[in-house]
Amino acid sequence: MFVARSIAADHKDLIHDVSYDFHGRRMATCSSDQSVKVWDKSDSGEWHCTASWKTHSGSVWRVTWAHPEFGQVLASCSFDRTAAVWEEIVGESNDKQRGLSHWIKRTTLVDSRTSVTDVKFAPKHMGLVLATCSADGVVRIYEAPDVMNLSQWSLQHEISCKLSCSCISWNPSSSRAHPPMISVGSDDNNVTYSGKVQIYEYNENTRKYAKAETLMTVTDPVHDIAFAPNLGRSFHVLAIATKDVRIFKLVPLRRDSTTSSGPTKFEVQLLAQFDSHNSQVWRVSWNITSTLLASSGDDGCVRLWKANYMDNWKCTGILRGDGSPVNGSSVQGLALNTPGSSGAPTPQNSVAGAASAGRYEAQLILRMADFIER
Amino acid sequence: MMSACKPDILWSPHHADRYVICDSELSLYRIGAVGTSEAKAGSLPLSEETAATLLAINSDTPYMKCVAWYPKHEPECLLAVGQANGRVVLTSLGQSHNSKCKELMGKEFVPKHARQCNTLAWNPVDSNWLAAGLDKHRADFSVLIWDICSKYSPEAVPAEKLRLSGDAESGMVVTKPLYELGQNDACLSLCWLPRDHQKLLLAGMHRNLAIFDLRNTSQKTFVNTKAIQGVTVDPHFQDRVASFFEGQVAIWDLRKFEKPVFTLPEQPKPLTKVAWCPTRMGLLATLTRDTNVIRLYDMQHAPTPIGDETEPTVIERAVQPCSESTISSFAWHPSAQNRMVVVSPNRAMSDFTVFERISLAWSSTTSLMWACGRHLYDCAEEGGSAAEKDIATKMRERAQSRYGHDTVQVWRNHLLAGGNDPQLRSLWYTLHYILNYSPDLEQRQQGNKQSLIYSGIKNIVKSSSGTTEIRRCWKGSERPADVAQYQSEERSLALRLCGWIGRGPDVDIEPFLKSLEQEGEWERAASVALFNLDIRRAIQILNKGASSEKGDLNLNVVAMALSGYTDEKSSLWREMCSSLRLQLQKPYLCVMFAFLTSEPANYDAVLYESRMAVRDRVAFACMFLNDNQLPRYIDKLTNEMKEAGNLEGILLTGLTKDGVDLMESHVDRTGDVQTASFSMLRGSTAEVVKDPRVQCWIENYRHLLDAWRFWHKRAEFDIHRSKLDPSSKPLAQVFVSCNFCGKSISFSCSAMPHQGRGFSQYGVSGSPTKSKVTSCPGCRKPLPRCALCLMNMGTPVSTCTGTGKSEEKVDLPRDKKLAQFNNWFTWCHNCRHGGHAGHMLSWFRDHSECPVSACTCKCMQLDTTGNLVPSDTV
Repeated sequence: MFVARSIAADHKDLIHDVSYDFHGRRMATCSSDQSVKVWDKSDSGEWHCTASWKTHSGSVWRVTWAHPEFGQVLASCSFDRTAAVWEEIVGESNDKQRGLSHWIKRTTLVDSRTSVTDVKFAPKHMGLVLATCSADGVVRIYEAPDVMNLSQWSLQHEISCKLSCSCISWNPSSSRAHPPMISVGSDDNNVTYSGKVQIYEYNENTRKYAKAETLMTVTDPVHDIAFAPNLGRSFHVLAIATKDVRIFKLVPLRRDSTTSSGPTKFEVQLLAQFDSHNSQVWRVSWNITSTLLASSGDDGCVRLWKANYMDNWKCTGILRGDGSPVNGSSVQGLALNTPGSSGAPTPQNSVAGAASAGRYEAQLILRMADFIER
Repeated sequence: MMSACKPDILWSPHHADRYVICDSELSLYRIGAVGTSEAKAGSLPLSEETAATLLAINSDTPYMKCVAWYPKHEPECLLAVGQANGRVVLTSLGQSHNSKCKELMGKEFVPKHARQCNTLAWNPVDSNWLAAGLDKHRADFSVLIWDICSKYSPEAVPAEKLRLSGDAESGMVVTKPLYELGQNDACLSLCWLPRDHQKLLLAGMHRNLAIFDLRNTSQKTFVNTKAIQGVTVDPHFQDRVASFFEGQVAIWDLRKFEKPVFTLPEQPKPLTKVAWCPTRMGLLATLTRDTNVIRLYDMQHAPTPIGDETEPTVIERAVQPCSESTISSFAWHPSAQNRMVVVSPNRAMSDFTVFERISLAWSSTTSLMWACGRHLYDCAEEGGSAAEKDIATKMRERAQSRYGHDTVQVWRNHLLAGGNDPQLRSLWYTLHYILNYSPDLEQRQQGNKQSLIYSGIKNIVKSSSGTTEIRRCWKGSERPADVAQYQSEERSLALRLCGWIGRGPDVDIEPFLKSLEQEGEWERAASVALFNLDIRRAIQILNKGASSEKGDLNLNVVAMALSGYTDEKSSLWREMCSSLRLQLQKPYLCVMFAFLTSEPANYDAVLYESRMAVRDRVAFACMFLNDNQLPRYIDKLTNEMKEAGNLEGILLTGLTKDGVDLMESHVDRTGDVQTASFSMLRGSTAEVVKDPRVQCWIENYRHLLDAWRFWHKRAEFDIHRSKLDPSSKPLAQVFVSCNFCGKSISFSCSAMPHQGRGFSQYGVSGSPTKSKVTSCPGCRKPLPRCALCLMNMGTPVSTCTGTGKSEEKVDLPRDKKLAQFNNWFTWCHNCRHGGHAGHMLSWFRDHSECPVSACTCKCMQLDTTGNLVPSDTV
């Protein structure tokens, strides 16, 4: 059973992305209001906004945390064609006492000539590496050679994907058996260009990223893509948000030592495909053990998916995006006449205060949905 | 009057819960929550949560073509209705109490020539002004702007017109408009420009859009276009206008009015309505004829004509408010975010909210955060039964209960894991037996079999030699049984690993039967007794089971059936048992009869009963299969287990590479790196522990513990690991060197004897430790001073030698005496000031800056992670 609680986010426009830090105690949100907010979880479990600042001159599409080993570092990307790296600084004011933190821009990455649609830090064993992708179809991989100096980033790789890119995901596996790998999704509307998901792999010999796989069966625009945390498994799992939710399994074929120069070959299996969102699926996200997948879609619902022992995936829960109960729920009407759901404009609190108090709680009993077998 | 039959819908500009449906009459509805006291019995459900109540009907104005709601608060519910003959009538719905409204009610505005009125628009500022767009009539004007407060002007109106309207006496007919525009043209749609309320945007039949300024009506800016229907201004971006023509929507920017900024993808069917969302920037809803889909265009970053030429980022979405019927019209709710009501041609209405794209993220502790629109929702897992729990939650709970850490009674680890997983139970019992019996073998055979026991039954039976075949009697009977049993040293070892027999040379299963009886596993105990050819004992166990608490009385019946056993091949007993046993639900009862009725040396019905525990099947095979059959069966079973990732198979594979393969398959399926890490660490050979996969699981498990902030558990795991795998011990990470001589100041054991001598040589009086701990062991120069107490760093001797224990054991390594944490050296890596840990902690409880004068370093705030508390401490 999952319990949903609303938090007054106080963004002035749509929130485009939510991102947790490594420990799950901090959170960053970004919005069309061109700002990023950082939230800290108090010991009592409530979220408090501790920083809010204007980051870009356009909608901020995505925000992401670096591993805490590199400090408190965020990256954001925006319609204004840039990506930026931010670091929390301490010790120069008394902000900490007032429950505020101060973030400064360490660098602006200006190589893209179009909207930067996604930004992701590479897994930490690769060092401090950042990938961006942009609407003109280029994936750029930057590296900070000196992790103590976040203002210097060098553009290491430029991968041209030909199609407008909407999302990227690093393969989080830290196993030495798996070379660095990044997947790219395209939201190009033209269904005649098939293969909206491409997977690139780093080749130790050529020191370049080369295409390892194209998922030709994905022909509709892809809005989000997520590699599952590998957790010592021998294969990779990739979730894709397109006109439905798709889960692919990529099994690396054991290669002979003689042919080790080329990219890894994969046996690609479609594990699951769900169209229960009825239309576009916007986001997919894995939990830490990659045993639960959450997806959101145009039906305004968040759905949770889980696999059983036999790799059969099924829906284990549906939650409505506004926190109200889903039809058929036994606690219907509990959350109806609360301030959060009436659509009344939210009071514009000052940034500093505890703008986070949960305004209402809605108990959502998850409905076991029929398992769709494919 | 086709359009009159198709209902249209209008929200009240000021009452968030009222709207009007207009077709041949006007009906006012109030929307409310389902089940509230307001909702009457006759209310119409609009959605799962809301219903509408009919408040008033007005059928005074026939031949309606268009309706516009008075924009000001007072008088409320004042509507302007444009009719097919071009007249505009003011009317009201329901309450018309106040005088101003009464005065206006029924007032008519009559054009010179009768023709259809296409559109109406109230001026948003000067709310007395009402603009009406009419069809073309020769050279007449098509846009008339009326002042609703103007008085009746009889001289301007021909007498016959008055007769037609019928109420000339009441002085309610106005025929003189304030302004006339659009000569020699028709007007299909119009709107006032919010930026300048004197300006009016018209869409005319002559394929143009024109902007008129009422202060100078002779001047106009215009542009030729086909898109002249449904002009509407974006309420959030007042220079942006949408208009449409057939299936195409054009978006205009008034600052650069020469051509559309862009056009939206063309629809196959003609559009009927286009409306900007009043609560959300840049969201346009469009509706085409005969469809049940409303298309939304999210213009987050529509290009502006002034800026540079970027590709428009317009996201198209299609929503289906009601799946069955087509949509006649829709209206956005004026204040509720993204909410609209749609109406179908048969006046069925539904309330509907367009959801924003939801972005979401899981935290490391399995709570889900999502953002919908401007709101955040935090969703955490609560409760739930053990079977439903995700492996992440299970691993967290198991880490808290010290799962894997019981190194003495290894089997107990399955209880620490919750005790309800048969695979874990089997795994930990297997490991328990392996660890228990390996020292025995080591003593007897000097280690050559020690690795054998780790390598699992599969390898044990392969190495089997000197098997003897015996034909034992049924216990308590003189007749020899016609079943052959096999024995060898290796087979006994296998039976021990299966848990059937204990230590020692004799094969005694009685302790095992006793323990099964204690756990209430009657059927299993009975079948084990039977496999050991003791029918009497089996019957006794079944009787005991039947008479026990919550016992199954059917067991008595089974015992009865058992007692009739005969080994005659063609007996009725045999025939009935072999057919009826398949109907037995319990697997162990089933295999008992399978065993009794089987042909000699053919036990497939027992061996391939998959509901039976693997260890029992293996033990059975070790007793009854000959040297040819046994390895084949074990191999087959092993492969099956490896394929399925079934941890019971560890019994067969042992902690070998095979076992790692099996565990890999288990991890692939479940993600349980915790069990994998703990069990594989038990492997004796470097081959297993050093396997890159095992190392990978261990790293992943440590990473999980770190992400959960289970730092203490991680540290405990590392200690546990270094005990079992000494090579994993990390090297010393910090060295403090003396300012003077540059040598490490640590009092390591190797350096000590030399120094002890050194001090005594110089004849330093008293305890040698006294001078030592506050000075460098290399050069005996004093260590730096604590910034707070200004004493040299080093443990005061009195605190250490005070305890009697250390006096007794003088040879105790000295570093053990420096145990008190308060005396530890600490320093800030930024300003390099420091002192005793206890002093520093108490200082920073009240201060934020460094205690050293003139140093402004905020030492304690430098590290955010340092301020996080581990979550595994209570």
